[in-house]
Amino acid sequence: MSFITLEELEMTYGSNGTSATALRGVSVAIARGEYAVITGESGAGKSTLLCILGGLQLPTGGRITIDGVDLSTLRADALADFRGKTIGFVFQAYHLLPYLTARENVMVPMAPEKGSAAGKWARADALLASVGLAGKEERLPSQLSGGECQRVAIARALVHDPPILLADEPTGNLDSGTGDQILDLFARLHGQGKTILVVTHNRANVERGTRSIHLRDGRVDEDRFLAARPAGQAGRGIPPERRT
Amino acid sequence: MNIRTLARKNLLRRKSRAVFTGLGIFLGIGTFVAISSITMQMEGAVRDKLDRYGANILVTPRTEQLSLGFGDIALGGTQVSHGRLTAADEQAIRSIPLGERIRLAVPWFLSAADASGKNLVWMGVRPVDLAESRPWWKVDGAEIGGKDDVILGFEAAAALDKGPGGTLESGGRTFRVAGILKPTGEKEDGMVIADIAAVRELAGVKDGVTFFEVAALCRECPIEDIVREIGAKMPGAKVSAIRSVVESRKAAVDQFRRLGLGVSAIVLGIGGLMVFVTIMGNVQERTREIGILRAVGFRRRAIRSLLFWETGWIALAASAAGALAGAGAAIAASPLFGIARGAVEWRAMALGTVLGVSLGLLGTIPPARRAAALSPTEAIRSL
Ligand SMILES: Nc1ncnc2c1ncn2[C@@H]1O[C@H](COP(=O)(O)OP(=O)(O)O)[C@@H](O)[C@H]1O
Ligand SMILES: [Mg+2]
Repeated sequence: MSFITLEELEMTYGSNGTSATALRGVSVAIARGEYAVITGESGAGKSTLLCILGGLQLPTGGRITIDGVDLSTLRADALADFRGKTIGFVFQAYHLLPYLTARENVMVPMAPEKGSAAGKWARADALLASVGLAGKEERLPSQLSGGECQRVAIARALVHDPPILLADEPTGNLDSGTGDQILDLFARLHGQGKTILVVTHNRANVERGTRSIHLRDGRVDEDRFLAARPAGQAGRGIPPERRT
Repeated sequence: MNIRTLARKNLLRRKSRAVFTGLGIFLGIGTFVAISSITMQMEGAVRDKLDRYGANILVTPRTEQLSLGFGDIALGGTQVSHGRLTAADEQAIRSIPLGERIRLAVPWFLSAADASGKNLVWMGVRPVDLAESRPWWKVDGAEIGGKDDVILGFEAAAALDKGPGGTLESGGRTFRVAGILKPTGEKEDGMVIADIAAVRELAGVKDGVTFFEVAALCRECPIEDIVREIGAKMPGAKVSAIRSVVESRKAAVDQFRRLGLGVSAIVLGIGGLMVFVTIMGNVQERTREIGILRAVGFRRRAIRSLLFWETGWIALAASAAGALAGAGAAIAASPLFGIARGAVEWRAMALGTVLGVSLGLLGTIPPARRAAALSPTEAIRSL
């Protein structure tokens, strides 16, 4: 079984009266270590797909299994634990807490945990250094550039060393140069073995992944591997051999 | 960092919002503490004032005659006493089971005697008891300092044409007029007030007592019980409660307490509602923040405890500040309520602080539930 398996996912918002269907039968299998780039028109269902992948919401139909666990069997708290342990989220709007410094923002996911303040502090500083923000730990988001904010958000996503990183248009608010640096960071994390799914508007970014998934109207319109793959594996996904 | 520090940082870096959230509690507790401090002190003041109406219980000998009063006191032989009161009876009164509820047991001895050629009634009392049992008496001149001092009632002084410093002859002795009692409108206006020992000597009685005035500590006033117990101890005496004083005292104190409680309850209700509304608003406004926390793995309980810590800190600070402000306001306003000297009521402040924190936490329950139930996706998408 694949690391992530989506089977005939359906997602319909709204109950009676007005309802919007965001996903209409999405089936994808993603292997550990893949770097999937998800593209599609606005409203195609990309964010919805990512939210379901991250356990932020459950689909109204179909099945999602991650690392052998059917997410629909998890109760609210177990789902929260799953998010904390397995998933790192990166959002277009960074979603940092404005009243916390860079360091404190990175420490937030550790807040409900026991453990020494010093240990958490050191972990946050190490992560900030790894995304190139050493020396800026004490700054508030308002004192950081967009690219720097996104780095803080990435450091926060990495706190629990999750195997999966989900990013919803992480470069959408950034100029192309800064966006490229963020994508370089994802490439590096991919190189370290993380499974990465990035939603992007920018078709040019597709080249950075190992796989391209295009959504149209809630359906998978195109699903192809970008790097050379052994024959017979197309469409199923395999772990990448590349390591930096 | 843990949930507690996260809550504190949130509050410290968004001070104006924290202040606004605490405002309801601050005002509510401030009003509560002010009102209850004033009520407590008014109760005290009322008690003091009512205590000045005099004794609660009168202990007299059983007689065949009409009741013994200041006006129709039948002195010297016309009364047929079944039992005579003596100084030793004071001990009997104080030794009843409810003895610790007795504030005062004052023996009085009255006798008709000569005063510089005029026959007047002499009222004997221990000088130390006089201030306690007749605090409303105002004397021009000095108090009774010793066995040779007397105070003249206003009319007696006029009849004798004596002023402070004058002298009075009686039974071959010379008394000094220490002071003149300002008119009280009572019988004592026509009497001579002297040390009980001196009056006894004039009457040739060793330890006679005409009546005892007994004042109970009147917090809960088991007057009927005290009357019964004294009656049981002293079968030869007539023990009567001075009912109207007791009842009006209780009624007045109760009325003040009810008024204070009612106003406080209303104010606290409004304060609690304000907390509820502001925190609910906070949750609404922080939907996204809560969604982010849920996305990074916070359980619902963590969200709830974050909110409770936040309001806990706010409520503590606001109610402590409110208690201080309320106590200050009570002292400042005390002259308006006829309280001579305002004091800090620690009990009201402590109760107010506890109440404020509980109110804050109580008001947070519905918003915290709501916050914990928020769907993280909805939250994150509410851009
Ligand atoms: N919470 C929601 N309630 C109702 N409809 C929604 C909700 N979220 C998304 N949708 C609808 O679902 C469809 C897919 O949305 P979304 O997943 O955000 O697409 P994308 O991210 O590709 O732009 C859209 O038609 C959108 O209007
Ligand atoms: Mg989207």
